[in-house]
Amino acid sequence: MSLTIFTILPLKTLVIILAGTCLAGVVCSLMGTFIVRMKLTSLGFCMSHAAFAGSALGLALSLPPLWFALAFSILVALILGPLTEQSRLQPEIILGILFSLTMALGLTFLNFIPDSALSSTAMSILWGSILGISSLEVWYLAILTFSITLIIILFFKEFQAIAFDRKMAEASGIPTRPFYYLILFLTGITVAFSLKLVGGLLIFALIVNPASAAYQFFHDFKKILIFSPLFGIFFSLSGLVLSFLLDLPVGSAIAIVSSVGFGISVLFSPKRRKG
Amino acid sequence: MSQPKIIEMNKVSTIYEGEKTPALFDINLSLNEGELVCIIGPNGAGKTTLLETLNGLLPHTKGEIRILGQDIKKKGIYLRKQIGYLPQEFTVDPLTPFLVKDIILMGRYGQIGLLKKIPKNDYILMEESLKLMGIIDLKDRPIGKLSGGQLQKVMLARVFAKKPALLFLDEPFSNLDYHTTHRVILQISRAHDQNHWTTLLVMHDLNLIPERCNRILYLEDGRIVKDDIPEKVLTEKLLEISVR
Repeated sequence: MSLTIFTILPLKTLVIILAGTCLAGVVCSLMGTFIVRMKLTSLGFCMSHAAFAGSALGLALSLPPLWFALAFSILVALILGPLTEQSRLQPEIILGILFSLTMALGLTFLNFIPDSALSSTAMSILWGSILGISSLEVWYLAILTFSITLIIILFFKEFQAIAFDRKMAEASGIPTRPFYYLILFLTGITVAFSLKLVGGLLIFALIVNPASAAYQFFHDFKKILIFSPLFGIFFSLSGLVLSFLLDLPVGSAIAIVSSVGFGISVLFSPKRRKG
Repeated sequence: MSQPKIIEMNKVSTIYEGEKTPALFDINLSLNEGELVCIIGPNGAGKTTLLETLNGLLPHTKGEIRILGQDIKKKGIYLRKQIGYLPQEFTVDPLTPFLVKDIILMGRYGQIGLLKKIPKNDYILMEESLKLMGIIDLKDRPIGKLSGGQLQKVMLARVFAKKPALLFLDEPFSNLDYHTTHRVILQISRAHDQNHWTTLLVMHDLNLIPERCNRILYLEDGRIVKDDIPEKVLTEKLLEISVR
């Protein structure tokens, strides 16, 4: 495969692919801004693996994988929220167990997928298959991106305060628990709807890497919320191009590009400059 | 007619998760409006636990706490909007992406409420509190780039900008130099009187207890051992124990 694919593909398909890539880049990195700042990355890994497991179960039952991915990641978000807050167990232990459990479930469910589908559809949920994205899925992503952006704008004060320090936000009279659960819930939905682009194993690169890169450049949280999605778009599109050029799975290409992007941003970070 | 009680604790105990011994045990306390009370005691006596239990950040396991006449367990979010709280030894990561002005304003977000824009007056309060602490020049600086003393001043400015009814300060002078400490003591005392605050101050250094302080609570092993006017609490024996 090479860049000629852009000329071969029908315009409508190309628009769907590019729109899906950009929207997934925006929505993942937008949620990543909170996930990274609130040190919830392990929790997010669990959700992405849960979405992968759900998707695999959907395929095994010959039912729509998207809805199963959605149900699984939301379920994990709903379980993890209270568990990490209230349980006597260390959050790392709970996350470690769920992390391996969801992965094991995903791989087990993959075994039940009929042989004919295993090579194509099943692999697409592992590594992503942007070429298989439908216009309906792009619409879902567009609605999700719009909704999350609107929620962040409406409750910017509360999200900003929680992102600074949850305990201090609580002390100032903000009901932090609903917002904390909202972040987990929205991350779960984001993971499920973006699975098609990057795949269950690497979706988290698109959540963590652009946001982490944006954090290297700005001291103002508003700027990070603006630049993180822009990095998300840039990394996603660059990954897409790289995947076509080198015939790589899209998910892997995006993970590689965004990781390199993060490395470069650390090197050039004005926040890390001394003096 | 007796003065209304601003803070009332009846047989309150707090046990940390997984612990058997209560960090606070059977605490009875009542504070009137306008009191400036210092909490002293050795390390691990329960001073910070008392403040965090009072503002509901740490749920108590027994007894009842009423702040401004309302149950902290039921009305915690509402009541915390009326409390200015400075935690002990607050630190931030050097890459923290927030500016000093944002941090001050955030202290007021609870009072502003959901789905509401930050009123113009809040920006004025933010600037006034920064001027009060003598750090107006830090307004646009990233919070992560400040020294420990500057950060402490910013957190104090945040509490002042909140214009609370109650002030809970946990070792507010821990990172401040000698001159700043004395200036801040004066400012706290002055603001306390001007705003009719009810103030609780956790102190480690007994030499820094403000003159304005009208009552001292001495805590030991999670219990209030002494509760009286400074002259009666600060006995030679107690001073000896607390410096140990």
